[in-house]
Amino acid sequence: MKRRQALIGIAGTVALNGAFTQALAQKGEVVIGVIYPLTGSSAQVGVDSKHAIDTALEIINTASTLDLPGAKNAGLAGLGNAKVRVVYADHQGDPQKGRSEAERLITQENVCTIVGAFHSAVSATVSATCERYEVPYLCADSSSPSLSRRGLKYFFRTSAHDEMFSEAMFDFMDAMKSKGKPIGSVGIFYEDTIFGTDSSAVQRKLANERGYKIACDIKYRANSPSLSAEAQQIKTANPDVLLPSSYTSDAILLTNAMASIGYKPKNLVTQAAGYIEKPTLESVGDKLQGMISRASFSADMGDKRPSAKAVNDMFKARAGRDLNDQTSRVFTAMMVLAEAIDRAKSVEPKKIREALVATDIPGEKTIMPWKRVKFDATGQNTFASPVLIQFKAGKFSTVFPFEVATATPVWPMNP
Amino acid sequence: MTASALPQILATGLLMGLIYALIAAGLSLIFGLMDVVNFAHGEFLMLAMYATFGFAVFAHLDPVLSLPLVAAVMFIVGASVYAGVVRHAMRSKVNTGMVQIFSTFGLATLIQGGAQFFFTPDFRNVDHTWLSAKTLDLGGIFLPWSQIFGGLISLVAFGGLYLMMTRTDFGRALEATREDKGAVALVGIDSNRVFALGWGLGAALVGVAGAVLATSYAIHPQVGAGFATIAYITVALGGFGSVFGALVAGIVVGLVEALTANTLPPAMKSMGIYALYLVVIFLRPQGLFGKL
Amino acid sequence: MSIPSSPAAVSPSSTPSLAGVTRHRRRQLIEAVVVFALIALLPLLVKNAYLRNVIVLTLMYAALAQSWNILGGYCGQISLGHALYFGVGAYAVSKLYVSYGVLPWFGMLAGGGLAVLLALALGYGTFRLKGHYFSIATLVIAEMGLLIVHNWDWLGGATGIQWPFGPDSWATLQFARDKTPYIFFALGLLVVTWLLTFFIEGSKWGYWWRAVKDHPEAAESLGVTVFRSKMAAAALSAFFTAIGGGFYAAFVSYVDPDSVMHFRFSLLMVLPVVLGGIGTLWGPILGAAILVPLSEFTRSYVGGSGGGLDLMLYGGLVMAVALLKPEGLIKLFARKTRIREAAR
Repeated sequence: MKRRQALIGIAGTVALNGAFTQALAQKGEVVIGVIYPLTGSSAQVGVDSKHAIDTALEIINTASTLDLPGAKNAGLAGLGNAKVRVVYADHQGDPQKGRSEAERLITQENVCTIVGAFHSAVSATVSATCERYEVPYLCADSSSPSLSRRGLKYFFRTSAHDEMFSEAMFDFMDAMKSKGKPIGSVGIFYEDTIFGTDSSAVQRKLANERGYKIACDIKYRANSPSLSAEAQQIKTANPDVLLPSSYTSDAILLTNAMASIGYKPKNLVTQAAGYIEKPTLESVGDKLQGMISRASFSADMGDKRPSAKAVNDMFKARAGRDLNDQTSRVFTAMMVLAEAIDRAKSVEPKKIREALVATDIPGEKTIMPWKRVKFDATGQNTFASPVLIQFKAGKFSTVFPFEVATATPVWPMNP
Repeated sequence: MTASALPQILATGLLMGLIYALIAAGLSLIFGLMDVVNFAHGEFLMLAMYATFGFAVFAHLDPVLSLPLVAAVMFIVGASVYAGVVRHAMRSKVNTGMVQIFSTFGLATLIQGGAQFFFTPDFRNVDHTWLSAKTLDLGGIFLPWSQIFGGLISLVAFGGLYLMMTRTDFGRALEATREDKGAVALVGIDSNRVFALGWGLGAALVGVAGAVLATSYAIHPQVGAGFATIAYITVALGGFGSVFGALVAGIVVGLVEALTANTLPPAMKSMGIYALYLVVIFLRPQGLFGKL
Repeated sequence: MSIPSSPAAVSPSSTPSLAGVTRHRRRQLIEAVVVFALIALLPLLVKNAYLRNVIVLTLMYAALAQSWNILGGYCGQISLGHALYFGVGAYAVSKLYVSYGVLPWFGMLAGGGLAVLLALALGYGTFRLKGHYFSIATLVIAEMGLLIVHNWDWLGGATGIQWPFGPDSWATLQFARDKTPYIFFALGLLVVTWLLTFFIEGSKWGYWWRAVKDHPEAAESLGVTVFRSKMAAAALSAFFTAIGGGFYAAFVSYVDPDSVMHFRFSLLMVLPVVLGGIGTLWGPILGAAILVPLSEFTRSYVGGSGGGLDLMLYGGLVMAVALLKPEGLIKLFARKTRIREAAR
């Protein structure tokens, strides 16, 4: 029944708006491709991202009262209430597989946009493929700065990249210094992947620019069976602030390894990733009291924005955990995309691209602590201002920038 | 690397090495028995860790207590894998070695997919065990209790193996079957049964290692892969077919890894293990204690 | 840079030229012409980009498996480290093209030459090893290579090397949407490796190598220099594996350590051989024709659920084939041929 009504609606809009691609006219739906690692070592991220996308679809495709663009009516108003359907693809963390899945989504599933992809290396090949087929690629959560610097016309990134994240960290440390807290040295600790090397490169640069001594600079092998030697080196260097870029299993391993040699870092300011994952907080949360992480999102957003709380509750019902830095970015990317397609009143990739270029969503209309969503010439949302959140008594609260903070930072973490 | 840090580095390396040896023991035993490299070894370890997690969640058993139970569960798994897969692989007249490698490789992929299907890719933890996050401070040398426990269990396991191999009928049957399959059949030993028991025992040893690791590692479907690579190198370094070679090799690997991590950039610390293997094999093609 | 003279140049073997053998070999050649001609027609029938992608990968892995088979199947040296040569080829082509503008064709030759040198150097140290010691050593060396590339900033470290966008051209092997040229390149590589294997089968080398594989001690006493045979096989095998790696880099236009040097690639070269039939002429091609589409389709149509079903399916099939058809699937065909022969 619903489908027939949708079809009638579509038929009406077709008459008004002129030509559509066949896929839409036949099915009354907008098809979007979503590429994540659904199997392999990052499968957890992919499965969580799937929950985030499904949460966004629920809001887009059913009528709700949330204060988010596209929530009001069921489906996309600009396309006669057409429903959004998503086709998931699994890239297993492999750039080649990401590329061939992107090609499959574009040529076989006729998707009008692709959202992805967590791994920066995969985003690199997927976005290149999208460029070749002139289909917009909305990068939700790959944070390598180089991605938006390749002169691609069809690349859009809603969230911050590593440089923006790391700058926020150093801004915060500068602010703490001006408040009279002694911060002389930092320790950089990172995994040997794109994520780790990119993140550490920016941190190294900023430390040198802003006059912080680098007490240790340690690159380690991701998913190592043991990190005790690395922990020993950090203990010996004893930096005022330790800046780790690590995923879940390594974050747990390092925390345990440091505790087991009786070392408590003076301060931890982390590049999110594994440090804000539920398994990490469950197993070693007691040793991470006072840890500060960069974030695009924090649970206390819900205190200020009813929509953030409602979305979090919906997500939790699906995934059994709260939204975090990564899943909130995936959700937001999907919402931003739906808003653009709605405005484009078309499923033509070129028209969607134009609509994305013209995107301008005020921060209050998202669940993020951002100023707004507006892409610059490179496709980067420069207003995706990161926040810093601090973990205390089992929950995160925003501590920086001070104007959006809900709590004052505890510093140092371990006196 | 400073001289003052050396005792700590060596102590940590030694304990880690004992744990590597424990992980490799089962692999070495199975290989010595019938010349089969079990490519699903890492997946056995992963299953053992999930079993430990299961006992902790559903029966509230601490890994220290569930250790024998996990070993028993894995014994059944190992024996079933032999009966269901390896036995058939051994029968093939052609390409025997390759068939064994790829039947166990296929099994490994199958188990990994199954783990993701049934347990989800979520990271799991056995929280608040008696051992996690407790440390022994020996005048400035810190040793985590979970690793001390692991090291002791490893020594006990090897001791038990030694006694079993030398003092029991089963051990002698194992040894005899290894020497000459045809001859033991004549004296009435069913080699199939011996092999099944051998596989069960090998898997049980992995089960013990899994229970130990579950006290300090996050558990997920890919957790076995990293340990498996080290286990293969350990077994080859010690010499295929020598269970005690695996013990020595495990300790050497642990020490070399700890020292490398403090001389090279830590990202390259496996280089030390790899180089060690190549040097030893170049000088002694049969490994430290293997027979050519 | 010394590339060993192609064995095609080796004088035809002084084997007893039984009429049956010659007839058999002639039939194999005719079969090959038919099979490869049919593959060349595929792009006319298959228009879909995704399926063409699968065809490219299938042909590429068939060629790689064929290269691995030269060393593993005919010479009996089970290498689990061929990802090293694959990575050397991929990185040589990418680095030379992206940093110095050297066309991929020359890059492939450079990568191939480098791989040959590596194979000879490594063979010198490892060919004394037996069985599993050798296999583990190859695995260890490949892992070392992966670690070195991972930490080598000149090669882009963990970030890898991104190829620039350029116009479609055969010179740079860059084609934005069209997969047909890649199909033809991969097919060409496969034909070359097949022909090489075919000539080896009928040449002195082939007999020596099989002797080395089956009875190394006897072969040595017959005056076959085992060591040199192994070295020659390793050099050829490494050369074509590196060419395959160079092609892959051009095809994906992006390399990073884990996506070209991971242990997975070593396995992906061995699996088709084992599945199809080790040490046979057609086994690697048959194995790749089954395995590659299987892994692509299971991921694309089963993997989207994220439940791991695709891995279960793939692993289960590999296991089942290894157990049920230990001599390789090619024997299914062989039996049919024999039956046909008998019926005549």
